[in-house]
Formats: sequence, C-alpha cells, structure tokens
Amino acid sequence: MEEKEKKKHRAKHSGPKAEKKRKRYLNDLGIGEEENARKRNPKAFTVQSAVRMARTFHRTQDLKTKKHHIPVVDRTPLEPPPVVVVVVGPPKVGKSTVIKCLIKNFTRQKLVEIRGPVTIVSGKKRRLTIIECGCDINTMIDLAKVADLVLMLIDASFGFEMETFEFLNICQVHGFPKIMGVLTHLDTFKNNKQLKKTKKKLKHRFWTEVYPGAKLFYLSGMVHGEYQKQEIHNLGRFISVMKFRPLTWQTSHPYVLADRMEELTNPEDVRINPKCDRKISLYGYLRGAHLKNKSQIHMPGVGDFTVSDVSFLPDPCALPEQQKKRSLNEKEKLVYAPLSGVGGIVYDKDAVYIDLGGSHAHEKEEEEVRPNHELVQSLISTHSAIDVKMASSKVSLFMDSAPLASEDVGQEFVMPKEERQVDLKTGRVRRKAVFEDDEKENDDVASDEEDDQEEDDEEAAVSEDGSDGDDESDAEEENDRVPLREGVAVRRAKRLKTEVAQEEAVNELPAFADSDDDLEMSSEEEGETAPEDSEMEEEEEDEEEEEGDIKRTCEDESSDSEFEAANKRAESKQYDINSERTETKSQISEHSPKRKAVLTTDSGNCTAEEASESEDENSSLEEGDEEGGSHEELEAEESNRNGFQERQAKKADSVRQTKLKSVDIEDDDVENLLREEEEYEEKIDLSADTTGALKWKEDLTQKAAEAFLRQQRSTPNLRKLVYGTAVEDEDQESEDADDELGGLFRVSRPDKASKQKANALDCSKFLVEKPQDWDLEEVMSSIRDCFVTGKWEDDKDAAKLLEEDEELYGDFEDLETGVVHKGKAAAGEEQSGSEEEEEEDEKMSKPEPEEEEKKKERMDKKRKLKEMFDAEYDEGDATYFDDLKEEMHKQAQLNRAEFEDQDDETRVQYEGFRPGMYVRIEIENVPCEFVLNFDPHYPIILGGLGNSEGNVGYVQLRLKKHRWYKKILKTRDPLILSLGWRRFQTIPMFYMEDHNGRHRLLKYTPQHMHCGAAFWGPITPQGTGFLAVQSVSGTTPDFRIAATGVVLDLDKSITIVKKLKLTGFPFKIFKNTCFIKGMFNSQLEVAKFEGAAIRSVSGIRGQIKKALRTPVGAFRATFEDKLLMSDIVFVRTWYPVSIPTFYNPVTSLLKPAGEKDTWSGMKTTGQLRYERGIKLKQNKDSLYKPIVREKRHFNKLHIPKALQKALPFKNKPKNLEKKGKTPKDQWRPAVIREPHEKKISALLSALSTVNNYKIRKAKIKHREQLKEYLKVKQKEDEQKFKRQKEAKKKVYRILGQREKKRQKSSLKGSSKGEKSM
Amino acid sequence: AAGEAQCLSYTGCNFLRQRLVLATLSGRPLKIRKIRSKEEDPGLRDFEASFIRLIDKVTNGSRIEINQTGTTLYYQPGLLYGGSLEHDCSPSRGIGYYLESLLCLAPFMKHPLKIVLRGVTNDQVDPSVDVLKATALPLLKKFGIDGESLEIKISRRGMPPKGGGEILFACPVRKVLQPVQFTDPGKIKRIRGTAYSVRVSPQMANRMVESARGILNKFLPDIYIYTDHMKGVSSGKSPGFGMCLTAETINGTILSAELASNPQGQGAAVLPEELGQNCAKLLLEEIYRGGCVDSTNQSLALLLMTLGQRDVSKVLLGPLSPYTIEFLRHLRSFFQIMFKIETKTAEEEHMGGEKVLMTCVGIGFCNLSKTIR
Repeated sequence: MEEKEKKKHRAKHSGPKAEKKRKRYLNDLGIGEEENARKRNPKAFTVQSAVRMARTFHRTQDLKTKKHHIPVVDRTPLEPPPVVVVVVGPPKVGKSTVIKCLIKNFTRQKLVEIRGPVTIVSGKKRRLTIIECGCDINTMIDLAKVADLVLMLIDASFGFEMETFEFLNICQVHGFPKIMGVLTHLDTFKNNKQLKKTKKKLKHRFWTEVYPGAKLFYLSGMVHGEYQKQEIHNLGRFISVMKFRPLTWQTSHPYVLADRMEELTNPEDVRINPKCDRKISLYGYLRGAHLKNKSQIHMPGVGDFTVSDVSFLPDPCALPEQQKKRSLNEKEKLVYAPLSGVGGIVYDKDAVYIDLGGSHAHEKEEEEVRPNHELVQSLISTHSAIDVKMASSKVSLFMDSAPLASEDVGQEFVMPKEERQVDLKTGRVRRKAVFEDDEKENDDVASDEEDDQEEDDEEAAVSEDGSDGDDESDAEEENDRVPLREGVAVRRAKRLKTEVAQEEAVNELPAFADSDDDLEMSSEEEGETAPEDSEMEEEEEDEEEEEGDIKRTCEDESSDSEFEAANKRAESKQYDINSERTETKSQISEHSPKRKAVLTTDSGNCTAEEASESEDENSSLEEGDEEGGSHEELEAEESNRNGFQERQAKKADSVRQTKLKSVDIEDDDVENLLREEEEYEEKIDLSADTTGALKWKEDLTQKAAEAFLRQQRSTPNLRKLVYGTAVEDEDQESEDADDELGGLFRVSRPDKASKQKANALDCSKFLVEKPQDWDLEEVMSSIRDCFVTGKWEDDKDAAKLLEEDEELYGDFEDLETGVVHKGKAAAGEEQSGSEEEEEEDEKMSKPEPEEEEKKKERMDKKRKLKEMFDAEYDEGDATYFDDLKEEMHKQAQLNRAEFEDQDDETRVQYEGFRPGMYVRIEIENVPCEFVLNFDPHYPIILGGLGNSEGNVGYVQLRLKKHRWYKKILKTRDPLILSLGWRRFQTIPMFYMEDHNGRHRLLKYTPQHMHCGAAFWGPITPQGTGFLAVQSVSGTTPDFRIAATGVVLDLDKSITIVKKLKLTGFPFKIFKNTCFIKGMFNSQLEVAKFEGAAIRSVSGIRGQIKKALRTPVGAFRATFEDKLLMSDIVFVRTWYPVSIPTFYNPVTSLLKPAGEKDTWSGMKTTGQLRYERGIKLKQNKDSLYKPIVREKRHFNKLHIPKALQKALPFKNKPKNLEKKGKTPKDQWRPAVIREPHEKKISALLSALSTVNNYKIRKAKIKHREQLKEYLKVKQKEDEQKFKRQKEAKKKVYRILGQREKKRQKSSLKGSSKGEKSM
Repeated sequence: AAGEAQCLSYTGCNFLRQRLVLATLSGRPLKIRKIRSKEEDPGLRDFEASFIRLIDKVTNGSRIEINQTGTTLYYQPGLLYGGSLEHDCSPSRGIGYYLESLLCLAPFMKHPLKIVLRGVTNDQVDPSVDVLKATALPLLKKFGIDGESLEIKISRRGMPPKGGGEILFACPVRKVLQPVQFTDPGKIKRIRGTAYSVRVSPQMANRMVESARGILNKFLPDIYIYTDHMKGVSSGKSPGFGMCLTAETINGTILSAELASNPQGQGAAVLPEELGQNCAKLLLEEIYRGGCVDSTNQSLALLLMTLGQRDVSKVLLGPLSPYTIEFLRHLRSFFQIMFKIETKTAEEEHMGGEKVLMTCVGIGFCNLSKTIR
C-alpha cells in the first residue's frame, strides 16, 4: 500500500536539468549537439548559392544602413522651453474644448476664455504651450512653423475637411512636426458598426497623409460640455511622454512665440501723432537657437525689425525644483497665460506683478485687471515722459521726481525697462540736473506724494510680497530710512548737482563693470568696485551703515529696490565719491584703497589701452610718468568734449583729481594708503581685477608688487582691451547719432587715434617690438621645452609612459614557459611608498595630498586598463558612422560644459540668449496698427534671421504645382509665398532648365512636373521649403495651396531667357545663296548676328554671312539648298527677361480685428479684368480658325541632259518613260513551238524527271544509313559511360574511406583533447 | 522691410580689408569716412583701390560708392561669386595683402575660386605668399576646407618695387565649417623653410641658410631649408632675396617667420648672413609667443571659428596682435559675437610666453552662395 502511495519519480522533460540530461544521453549515442551536426554533415552547411548569399548579405546591410541618420550635434538646452502644442482643425470641431480640458487635466484650473498661448507645467520635466490655430491660412502657416506637436482635430461625423489637408501640407513643407489626430463628435454615431467603419476609414486616410501607424485618438462623448475625463487624461499622458525630432529650420533659427505684449511708446509722441511708429516689448520663451542682441528678426504678418534690446527674465512658469518625488504637487502645477489674463505671477525685467484674480475670478476679471493695467500704464507714461520731455515740462518732471524722491513710490514703480533705458541714454543725468533747479518744489512734492503713496500701500505690499528676499530686505531698509530722509533732504539738494557730474565719470566705466567683471573680481568682495551679485545687497548695507545718512539720501534719489545689479554697483561708486566729497578724513583713510580702485577703473581703461598700444609694460617707470601726464590730458579733453555740461564736468574732474592727487599731495596719507593698498592687493591674489593701469602708476615705489599685479590683471585687461568700454562701444556703433546730438552727449572716451591710428598702415603682421637676445642662455632656455628635444609633460613623455606601462603590466607569468616576470616598478613603488612614509613623517602637515595623489594614480591605472580593454573589445568593429556619432557626442558635451559654470549675465554675452530662457524683446518702429489692432487670438511670432537673411536678392526655386490645386499658375501673376519665417507676395517667373543649362521662360507651370521659379525677395538659405497660395483672404471650397517646392539658389542677378524668332524673307535667290530682308533693322544688328544659324520653315539650314548696304538690315546668307521665294527664313534668338522686383510682405496682423483674414495684395490682371468687366481684346491672328490649304501644284521633274547621260541605263528617264508608255499594239506575241522543238522539250523533261527520281532515292538511302550508324554509336557510348561510372565509383569509395579514416582519427584526437582539458 | 540691414560706419582707412571682408560675409552695408582726410594726399591709395576692385571681382551685385576725393567709401555687399579670375595687384603692397582677405572669403563662394594674382610676392610689409602657403592652408584644412583644389602656387616670384610675380590660388567651397578644438600646440618636431633669391647671385640663398641653421641647430637637429633661386621670366622684375622659416609641431601647428631684403634702391644693402640670423631669431620669437596659430593667421582662425556651426570652438593663441584685437572688435559689431578670452600661463618655465585661450560659439553661418542641385 505504502509503496503504491508513493509518488513515482517523474523525469523532467524540460528545464536546464532535462536539457543537460538529454545532451549527455545524445552524447553517449554519438549523435547530438547541434554544432556536431556541422561536422557530421558538412555538405548541408556549405554555401548552396553564392548569389543568394550575396543577396541576403546585401539585404541585411541595407536594413542596417537604412536605420542610420546623419548624426547631428545635439544642441538641445538642458532646460528646454515648453513644447508648443498647436490645436488645429476646422471650425466647430471642438478645439477650445480640448484645450480647456487639457488645461484642466494638468492644472485643475478651469479657463473660460482662452486667448493666445497658454503655458502649463505638465510634468516634472515638461511644460506645454498650448495654442489654438484658427482656420485663417495665415495663422495656420505661422503656427506650423513653430509647432512641436500638432493635435489635429477631426470631426468624425463629417470626415476630413480641407483645412486638415491644408495644414498637413503646410507642415510637410516647413518641416514635419509630430502630428496626432483626434477624432471628435463620435457620439453622433448611433450605429456601432457604422462608427467602427468610419473610424477605420478615417484612420487609414490619416495614415496615408502622415505615416502608417500615426496615432489617432478618439474622444467619444461629451459630459457637461467637456470630454470624458479618462480620455483627456490619456491624451495628456500621450502628450507628456512624446518625443520630438529636431527640425532643421527650427533648430537653426531662434524664435519666440510671444505670450505677452506691452507698449512702451512715449505717450507724448502718441498724443502728437497717433499714427506714429510704436515701441513695444514682447515676452516669451526663446526656442530654437541662440538669440543675439541687436540681431534681425521677422514678425510674420508685420515685418522685419532689429531687436533693440533683449533681456531674460525669471521663468514665470518654471519647472519644479527638485525632481525626486513621483508627481507634481498642486503648487507646481502652474499655468501662465498673460494674454488670457491668467498668470499668477507676471515678471517684468525687474518687477513682479501678482494677479490675484487668478482663474477663478474671471467674472471680476475686468476689475482685477484694470487697476493693474492702469498702474502699468501710468508707470509707462511717467516713465517715458522722463525720457523725452525732462526739461520741457515741469509737470511731468514732478510726476517723475516724486517716485524718485520717495522710497515708497520707488518701491512701487517697477518699470525696470524704463529705468535701464534711461541709464543707457544717460537720461538720468539730465533728470537730476533739472532737479537742482526745482529742488524746493521737489521736496514738497515728494512729501506730498509720500502721503499719497501711503494710500497705495496695499498695492505696494502686494508687490513686495511677490518680490524675492533681497527686495524684501531692501524694502525693510527703506522703511527704516524713511524718517531719516526728511532730515537729509536739504543736504541732498546740494549734492544733486555733484552727482550729475559724477555720473559722467561713472559713464566711463568699462563695459564689464556692470555685467561681467564680477566674475573676474570674485575675490574683491571687500572692494566696492565689483561685489559679487549674491553679496551685493549685504555689501550695500554695510556700506550704507558706514557712510551714513548722506548715502542714504543718495539712494533715496535712485530709490528703486528693483534696481539692476549693475546700476547699484555704479551707484555705490557714486556714493563713494560723494562720501569723499564730504571730506571726512577718517573715511578717506579707511576707504581710499578701494576708492582708488574705483578711480583706476574709471580712467584706467584708456590708459590700459594706451599701454597696450605702446606695448611696453615693462618700462613701468617711464610709463607711469607718462601716464600721469596723459591722464591729465585726457581729463582736459573730456572737459572739452562735455562742452554743454562743462561746469559739471569740471567738477567731476576736480573730484577725481582730488582723489587722484590726494595721494600725491598728502604725503602722510600716501604712505598709509600705499601700505594699505599693498595689503589689499595681497588679499586679491589669483583674482583678476579691474584695476586699470593707473594703479601701478601709483605703485611706482613698489616694483615687486607691480609685476605681480600685472600678471593678475592680464586677463580682464585683455578682455577690456579687446572689447573696450560701454561708452566707447556705443560711440563706435552710432557715430552718426553722436554727431546729431551735437556734442550734448559726447562722452569723453579715450582718443581713438591714441589707441589705433585710424589711418595707419593696414597690416596683419605682428611685429616684434623689442626682440630678445637669443644668444643668451636664459633667453634660449625660455623656449627650450617647446621643442621635441626639450622636456615633456609627464603624461606624454615616452620614458615616463614606458615606466607606467611597466607598472601596469609589470607582473606577468608566461604560461607557456612558466617564467614569472617581475616588474621592477613594484620595487620602486615600495620604495617610493617607504619614501612617502618618511615624507609623511617629515611633513605631517600634508598627508592628505599624498593620499590623494596615490588614489589618483590608482584611478589612472584603472582608467588606462579599461581603455585598453575597450580598445580591444569594443572598438574593433567601430565604423565610420560610429566614429562620427562619437565625435558629435563629444562636441555636444563640450558645448554644454563650456559655459556652464558662468552666470547667465556673462553667458548671454558669449553665447547669446539660449533657448529655454524667458526673454523680453524690445522692438522699435513697429507700425501703430499692430498695437491698435492687437488681437491676442492671432499668434505673434518673432523669428530670428541669420546673417544676411534680412537682405533681398533673386531666389531660385524648384516648384511644383500642387496636384490638388485646380488651376495652373501663370508667370508674372503675383503669388503669396511662405518661405522661412516670412509670408510675402511676389511675382515669380517660371522656367525650365534646358540640357545646356539655359533657363527658358515658361508661360505657365507644367501640370504634373517640377519647374524652376525665380523671384525677387528675401534671401533664405538653400534647401528651405516653401509653399505658395494665390490669396490669403476669404474662403474658397477648393484647396488653397497652389504650389510647393524648395529653394535652390540665391544670387544678385539671374538670367532667364525667352525664345524670340526673327523672321525674314528672301528677295533675291542665287544657287544656294540668298539675300534676305526684313529680319534686322540696321547693318550693326546684322553684324552682331554674323555667323548665326538660320533656317527656313521648310527645314533648309543656313548661315548669316554679311550685311548688305541696301535695303537696310538686309544680309547675304548661304543655305544647304536653294530657297524658294515663298520661303520664310527665321533665326532663333534668346531674349533675357527681367524679373519684377516686387516684394510685399503680407501684413495680416496690421489689419483691424476681425478683418485679419482679409489681407489682399496685388491682384492678377485676370482678377482685375474680371472685377471690372474688361474683356481682353484678342489678336485676330491668335484666334483659331479652320486651316484651308490650297492644293499645291508641282512642276515636272526635269533632269539635265548631262545627268541623264551619267545615269544607269534602267534609271534613264527616257527608258522609264518608254516602259510606262508601251502601247497595247507593241506587246510581244505568244510563242508557238515547231514539232521538232516540241520533241526536244519533251525529251528534256523526261530526262529531268528521271534524274530527279534518282536523286530522291539516293537521299533516302543515305538517311537510312545515318540512322543505323547513330544507333551503333549510342550503344557504344552507353557502354563507355558505364565503364567510366564504375571506375569513378571505385575512386570515390576509396576517397570516402580515406576521408572517413581521417575524420575518425581527428575526432579521436579532439575527444582526447577535450578529455585532457 | 527686408533689405535694410543696419549700415555700419567707421572712420579711417586702417583695417579696410577686414571691414570689407566682414561686411561681405555678414551682408551688412558699410560706410568708411575720413579716409586720410587730413593728409596731403587724401583718399584711397592705389593698393586699396586695387583691393576694392578685387572684392568687386569676386562678388556679384555689390555696390561700391566712393566720393570725389576718395575719402568716403560706401560698400553694399553682394553675394560671393568666385570662379576663374585674374587680378593685377598693386605693387605697392605684397600679394599677401590681397591673399589674406581672399583666404577669408574663398570657402564661401558660389563657384570654387581659382584666381591668378600678379604683383609682389615677397616684401617686408605683408606676409609673403610663401608664409601663407605654409601656414594658412594647413589652418584652412583644420576647418574642413580641404581637397585637391586647395592650393597656392607660386609661378613667378616678384620683389618690390616692381613686382612681376604671379601666383595661383585655388580653394574649394564649403557649405559649413567644422568647429575646432585646437588647444594643444604640441612640441616642435621640425623646422623647414625657403631661402629665395631672384636676380641676385644664387649663392645668397646658401649663405642665408648657413647662418639660420647656425642659430636654430641649438634647439633642433631636424632643419631643412630649401634654396629657391628663380631665373628668367619667373624671377620678376626686381632683384632681391629673403627667407621664410616654419616650425612644425607634432600636432600640426605651424609657426612662421620671414624676412626679406630691402627693396632695390631703398635702405642699405643687407648681408644675407645677417638676414638669415635675424630671420631665425624672429622664428624663435614666434616660438616664444607660441600658440596653435601663427601670429599672422590669428584673425583667420578666429573668423573661421566665428563662421562655424553653433558649436563651441577653442583655439590657443600667442599674444594677440593689434590687428587681431581690432578684428575681434569688428567681429562683435558685424556678427554680435564675443570671444571668451582667458590668459594661460605655461605651467612649466621653458615653454615661452603667455598664451591666450579663445573660445566662442559659432554663429551657424552657412554658405548662402552655394547652389544646390
């Protein structure tokens, strides 16, 4: 029982164990092991067909290479801009609903009205900018150029509409973004089968348009006016994981999809001329490539502009900071849509607006928004008024001055841009000058306004809350200061004037002082010249404390806490100067080193440049003296230049001089200062500092320090030397403007002539000013290591490398011989180790570096080993493609790493503004209609243009009429092209290229073929796609895209020719020579065409020989045959066609709201004729009519007698005629034989019959014999074959046996080998 | 509207070449005023006029306006055209004056440039054709401008004052340039050079070689200086002699120095020995300056870096020459590009003077002239 109960062992049939067993079993049998099959039956594994093998090989290689794309350097920024999602579809398909649902899905907010782009955070690493695309073809074209992802909405109940296909075609031309179809209105289907069928049909049509397998989404039904939550959620998921491919145009051009627009025009100008050109600022994420300041941009629908200023702002819709957690919390689900009035926080250049209204309060939106706007508006107005009419109107000055005077107001007045602008134009200076005059009023007003402002405190509070920590602290400070302010007011008034002058001085600061130098001067934290950004505020505070009231008052004037760092720095310098003016001696002694640094930056720049000019930094002594002198000269020059503000300038000079010369004059102080300075300089070791060349002038006494300093200075000085000062730069770029200002704003700059002679010799050679004496040993040794014979770096020295290798591979054992090789390095290492120990004992202070060094060594060793391994195993089959990819990858890494450690301010100077930044772009001279007719529903795109893409020239295209467009296109009819960023109307000429490269004009485009087109328009890089439409206004049921193609060539001149046939008539005919008239009008014309080929209509070819005297324009020509008087002779010539220089940008955004889709440019003549009802008067000759041809009568052929004689007899015309003419009576009679003759013929026939019989008989006999012979032959052959076969068999058997024997022996051997193994 | 790029304005005739070259490449119009306005002989000189004519030859559709006195020049650039051309350079400047600018423009033509320049091949002012051939061409190759057709051929040598030299310059066209990372000059492995003499005793060349070797041999054994004595029609119209030396490193950096005898009838006669020695010392001076690019070609290297794709390029230079410094400023005003300039001091002592590491991001320039088929 028990045994029965026991479970029987069940052998495993699968799994590794079973496998192993089976193998063993098969092995025992002597069969098994697949690889043995190869040995057992080698023939089965041989190449059956070389051709097939080659084919399969080819195919696999083809498939492999098909997968390759040309590798490109990955230039996507680390923090990419939001993905642009364009929702497109015909009207009433549910676009807005989809957008709203998506926003709600991602942010849990409900937007009621959507205008313009909406930016949302959709995930930890992705933001989306969703924008709706209307059915206006202008909008469709613009958005297709910036789209990353297109949500193509299709009304399933209706099917595809033209808009869908038009948009797809636009996309195809301008680079194909990702496209996802979304089917809506699926709930209208009652019948499930019908629904399924429709879905399938639509899907397949969609696939043919996009690509097979393109994603098509189904949104089934609506619930409470929204799509189903789950479906939208899925759609959102799809969007937020989608990957995008880079598009050529987009990655090579910077562009901004603007989500905010502000007008900055001076209100006064608008008042005077409401149609004046406007100045606007546009905000948005920068995408594509790096954008450089002052570069050219194009706004589709508006025109070309030059960027007047760019700045980057903090990201209004930033990605979450830390990414560790799985999902976003509610705080991080941001939404930003200023055009729709949703933004939460709106950042300006240095202000932050908080829209408390939010999305839930859209009912109150009007009220919420308006005050904000008002505030902004008022700010703008006051601000711009400052700029322009500082002196002209006192009232406006008050408005101005108030905010400046009172801190509170300053706190609120957050139009940063204005501030900066003022700075640039040195408007500030002027403003203060006016202050001086009105000081009393000013004070009163200020106090008044302060009261007023207290009422507005709520708003101020709001903005303060929004601002970052620094601002808050500042605000607090300022609050503290408020009581003090009044007390100081009087004193301030005095100082105002001086400040003006000092600002002059400050203007001379090097360009980098306000943006860049902080880097170089990182260690100069104590120095006021350039504190680091982060520490700015604190330092300010410190200084303030030190310098007390005076400074505060100063700051009051420039009150704004939002001031740019640069401004602050500049101001801090001012304060310094001011404080010095107060002449508290103790302060001087305290601060003088720093101050001196300031000074040197001011004036030192020019001297530095001079120094470089003379390039003799070594001769410090002389130079110092010289520069002392030159400096004064410079100052004198300055004062001269400042003509207008001479007084102030002088004061400035005096201030400076007091500072400069305080050193010289006050001996005791000097020494103190110098000593202090020395200490100070020691502190700033390594750092590069701004201190100019003046510094070392003062250092004359200490030469050692000087040399040291010079080394430190070199970098920033070099940069300054190259890129100069801001003022100078401005000057250089707008010299004309300078002249216009008439010296008012001439800022003293280092005389150019002193730096580089404007009219000097233009030579690129770098002459050696002061050659070294190369005979001296030490001089020679200074370049000793530049040669291969010199000492090498450790990592390159062959001997060292060898040593290292030995260390690496020192110990090894030769397995064959069993000899152990010991590397001597091991011993060395030990030794060194012991040495190290000793050393460690000796210097206990530095054990760590040693440790590190060792570690590094180890790491190096490991790395090297790994490299060797990689080289051996990975790179064996590295192809060209792999190498290329690797190269690109390296470049991408370098691009990322190069500027990573720099702060953004510096970085944008080198790189330009990088994509992903939120930028504010200022543009001037914008047509007023753009602002007046602004409609946020239409996208505003700023497309950056490359070099000389703003120029115009002739553009040649390859063009094909769209197969769905119903008409063909006519040459010289205006056509609207979308090319690059632009949409414009132009007049193309179509042509075909002949086999000899001639461009022959066509009247119409071919029906189904490519042709060339040339037009005059903007230069756009070759290879850019374009599309053409005939009109962008109105709606037609037909397909609107007329043609598509690509740019082939750009040039400044083009030759397209059309055929011109000149006809003439013979008026005198000789044998083969003819006189022809009517073709030309003068002898000269004929002379030009001498030697030209001519032809008669009947095909007789000839040549123009020479002009005749009469009639005018007649000429002699020779032909290959004699012409007839009725012949027409023509010459084929080519006449160059001029291309109309017509380029008319489509300015659809300038049209009034609601009419933006009605832009119409130049009309075609056909259209005009149709509209005006003008009938074309046809040329009668051009009309078709039945061709009536006269029956032609030909003369008889006459052959000359001499020729007749030469002809063969049968061809003689005489004979031919005779033969034809044989009359009936001349026919030959029938022959009747005589009896004798009959007999003969009968005999002959009998004989021939006999003969024939004999021959036939012989033939039959012969055939018989042949048959017999063949039979015998076959038999013999068979026997022979049999014999041979047997012999072969024998041989093969022997061979086979031998083979088998051999194999067996080898098998044995191998098995033996295995066993032994 | 399109076609109104901002006009840049400058004063003085200095740096005329780089201004015209950059204006042509950037497509921006240019105005230069006050050209020698205060001098006795105001206006453009013949060599500048010749240069402007050359620019006109290689471009299509450019507009050049010069006022009556020649003190103001307006230049609206066209597109670079290229093709097979000939140009007679003014003998008051060397061919190098023209060739330097052509080197900047040639890779961006519509048709590959093949130009015959006639004039002074070697003089004391401009970089000679020999030096440009030895240094600029390898530099172009680094940027991907390569191929058989890239060549400079000196068919006749012409010395000042009369000239009579003739060279052929041919360069292929490229659509885009490669970025370079050229920061390690490497060690000098050999020194080559040419000692040329025309219409003087052929022994001059040998004497120069001897003296130059005497100095250079202290550093390196691998020295070979070719002697090039031209005779007959290929020797130009004026007598003279000179030498140019190049030092090549293991990484392919080429540094050069040159010296030519005083033109006939000007200055004192120079002993060939002295010239050879001085030239060798100049080469040592150049080596002391160091860098990956010869001091004459600094601007060319920087330009090609600027015109690269939107990638980071780096190059290590010796001290910047005044010409290069001005060139950098011009690059900024024409292309809005700024270089990151870092000073590098050699860690070890015997590696010459301070170096400058120049870094920039290319502007993504592409050859707008080149036709696609």
